[in-house]
Amino acid sequence: MKRRTFLAGTAATALACPAIAQSSKKLTFLSWNIVDQADMFKRWFAAFTAEHPGVEIEWLDKKGPDLPPFYQTQLAAGTPPDVLDLQGGIGIEYAAQGALLDLTPYLTAHPDVKARFNQDYLNNWVWEGKTWLVPFYVAKTLLFYNKPLFQKAGLAGPATSFDELLAHAEKIGAGGTDQTGFLTLNFDWLYWALFKMNGVDLLSPDLKQPVFDTPKLVEVTEKLAKATAGTAINKISWTGRWVEPLGAFASGKVGMLNAHAPAYFFLKGQGAWINQDTLGVAELPGNWSVPTLHGYGISKGTKNPDLAWAFVEFCTARKQAQEMADSRRVLTAYTEVDNALMGHLEKDEPLAHAVLATQLEHTDKLCGNWPLPNDSRIKDAFYPELQNALLGRKDAKSALDEASRKVARELRRA
Amino acid sequence: MTARDRKLLWLRHAALVLISVVMLMPFYWVLKTSLTGENIYAYPPSLWPVKPHLFNYVDVWYLIPFPRYLLNSIIVSLIAVAGNLVLNAIAGYALTLPFPGRRAVVVLLLSCMLIPFQATIIPAYLITARLGLLNSYLGLALPLISTIVCIFIFKSAFEAVPRSLIDAARIDGLNDLRILLRVLLPLSTPAIATNVVLAFIWSWNNFLWPLIITRDPDMQTLPLGLARFLSYMEDTTGALYAFVVMVLAPGLLVFLMAQSSFMRGLTAGATKG
Amino acid sequence: MALVACFLAPSLLIFLLYRILPLIWNVVLSFEAWSPLHAATWVGWDNYDEMLHDDDVFWQALWNTLIFMASQPIGVAIALGIALLVNSDLKGAAVYRTIVFLSYPLMTVAVAIIWRWMYNERGGLINFVLRRLGIIHQPIAFLDSFAWALPSTIVANTWQVLGFFMIVLLTGLQNIPPHLYEAARVDGAPAWARLFRITLPMLKPSLFLCAVISILNSFAAFDLVYVMTNGGPGHGTELLITYIYKVGFGQTRFDYAAALTVAQFVLLLALAWLANRASGGNAGALE
Repeated sequence: MKRRTFLAGTAATALACPAIAQSSKKLTFLSWNIVDQADMFKRWFAAFTAEHPGVEIEWLDKKGPDLPPFYQTQLAAGTPPDVLDLQGGIGIEYAAQGALLDLTPYLTAHPDVKARFNQDYLNNWVWEGKTWLVPFYVAKTLLFYNKPLFQKAGLAGPATSFDELLAHAEKIGAGGTDQTGFLTLNFDWLYWALFKMNGVDLLSPDLKQPVFDTPKLVEVTEKLAKATAGTAINKISWTGRWVEPLGAFASGKVGMLNAHAPAYFFLKGQGAWINQDTLGVAELPGNWSVPTLHGYGISKGTKNPDLAWAFVEFCTARKQAQEMADSRRVLTAYTEVDNALMGHLEKDEPLAHAVLATQLEHTDKLCGNWPLPNDSRIKDAFYPELQNALLGRKDAKSALDEASRKVARELRRA
Repeated sequence: MTARDRKLLWLRHAALVLISVVMLMPFYWVLKTSLTGENIYAYPPSLWPVKPHLFNYVDVWYLIPFPRYLLNSIIVSLIAVAGNLVLNAIAGYALTLPFPGRRAVVVLLLSCMLIPFQATIIPAYLITARLGLLNSYLGLALPLISTIVCIFIFKSAFEAVPRSLIDAARIDGLNDLRILLRVLLPLSTPAIATNVVLAFIWSWNNFLWPLIITRDPDMQTLPLGLARFLSYMEDTTGALYAFVVMVLAPGLLVFLMAQSSFMRGLTAGATKG
Repeated sequence: MALVACFLAPSLLIFLLYRILPLIWNVVLSFEAWSPLHAATWVGWDNYDEMLHDDDVFWQALWNTLIFMASQPIGVAIALGIALLVNSDLKGAAVYRTIVFLSYPLMTVAVAIIWRWMYNERGGLINFVLRRLGIIHQPIAFLDSFAWALPSTIVANTWQVLGFFMIVLLTGLQNIPPHLYEAARVDGAPAWARLFRITLPMLKPSLFLCAVISILNSFAAFDLVYVMTNGGPGHGTELLITYIYKVGFGQTRFDYAAALTVAQFVLLLALAWLANRASGGNAGALE
């Protein structure tokens, strides 16, 4: 009896084997502007396919503005990439569109995977009670400041309140020709900490109503507009993207910069003056910060969901996350890995250590990260009006009224 | 030549030189920025490159597979140019013949010009996928393989050929294809040259279409390479501008090589009655 | 007749696949609510309703696009001037022609990068020259200024297409029989009369072509605006074409973008028809 079943079993396996060998599964991985890590990815793919024979990985990388048209076209054609790397609010947007696979069942089935991550960062991708992405690499905003400019202006250290921040900016801006006090990045809500520290919220807790059109916000906006009209706040804050703002700070003529940690490596490359004694690192007043995260998601239209999950699990495993952290000097939200990285850096690169340390503190004070299904539309409704007010085209009240009206309309449509 | 004529001639040259300077200035400024060693974000900028160096160009060459992208762009443009010459010439010829509904066809073609590519991305992708041409050279060239402006350029050129020549050829028993090849095209070198230059420029510079339909990094064209470089390595030294120069150089070189016959074709037209 | 069909077929096929079918797709889609993952539902005029009554960005973009097109004749006039200067056996004419045309073969993205740099407050040539000449004392943030941003992009666009207009007009000038000028000279007609009585009327087909290309330049300006200002500041340089792209791929509202596309198409048809009437009906000699 046993021998017969054994033989039957062997025969069955023997018949099945050629079938398995023939069916080669293809996994497409679409990443967001990370082509500099090509070597690392090739190692990962080789390791993964060794563990999963018969699997072929196709790697596509698109830069930020190019990824949406590419992805949407793929969706329309019915051939979405299996695994995606998405930045910022677009993750929730795609989830809300129905493009992504709900990862909650996988995380429940693999609690060890879930426990790897810093839960504050992981919770950024919860929408309607479900988790849609897991962290790939994370960053949040901090305050870089130019110590020599601070000394020249007679300032002891970074500000601890909004008004103090503006006062510092005023002083530094007045301190020399072409000098300005403060600069911030403005994409993906990165400036929101400035408002949050004044107790302003964008939307009601249920995310259905705009609640920002308050006298407090008008006051804050007017202060910022006045500072921008002078030399306290550099205009590039509201009009620049990545290169101009960072370039301006790197030129040594700006007192403070509100940007996320990866800016540090860019600045170091451009500003010869930057070293441990000249670059200060601090949290913004109130310890508020805006996260900008990259996460792995799986397309709902994938033909191999389990395989896609295996790939995501693999990429966020200890070894891979460590490689990513070491190679790019970025945090992965994988707690142990991040702690290990910080351990190295403390000795080898104290300034990088100081910068990255801010990324791990106060993760309970994240703002500007509402899980909105129509994040881009809300941004489009809000930011141009805010920009109008900050650049002096409209007065703050009417600009914010207009923004409130437009945001309400978008929320109604959702 | 009278004194007045000489003065006019000098004025003409002066005006043209001024225009040339204005047209060339942006090129020079970018070239200078790519070579200079100063901090380009510091004011005032210098008019000449300060401590010029070629490191930016070296960076760019090693950062992306420049030769591969260049080759891809060349192949796609060759297909597009060849296709344009054939398709546009025969279509242009057909439009010179009287046939019922000709006006409607002309209006149709003119209307087609008013449809921007950005609005056609998704359907164009789906159609190309159906044809099995995704990620292929032909697929890259296909949407631009015939262009309406160039059809009309051929049409105008053919219509400018004296009727007597065409009638004579017909009496000699030549069929339409022969008339096109033996009589019309040889007398329309400006139109041919214009077709070549325009088809080349439009296919060479196309960015959005290759973005959508290429999957292999090896199939990318040069504009995509520029965009790729722009994204991660966007930096405040001259490297970005070095890249601009390097991407423009092949297109400009090709144009400069072709321009003598292109321009000669135009002046030859001056002797036409 | 069969021959005509054969000769027209290949081109018409390409246009059918890549322009007409997509246009029909857009028209149908403009009456529906659709996203890549959900089935389409018919919503009638809703999208158009929103566009006309509930969307001030649309009106801003429309206005900007019209201004953009209205400024194109300046470029055509300059190009005509250059073409007239260069249209002769003037020594070095070929060199001048080449120099003027040199800007056209550039990728628009590259043109945008070049001009964004030219306008830069610190390292840009324009601010440098203006400050050196004492015309201004503080740098002007051309691309961030509500007043200057759109004209700045128009200047960059004009620089790029000037050569193309010049070529079209040159070809037209070459086709004017010289004996017409001879006869006019013999009759004692002054230069400006020759220009207005002979040159311009004979150039009607070329001018019509330039008019159509001007209209199309607002498409070509997509890359220019996208890279130089991204429609900013605050939609100050938003063109219909950039708005369509943003709505489609940025906000993932392809149905609404389709309505915008149809609206733009209708607008352009109207403008092309007007240009046709202005150049004497029947599209100059395009009939």
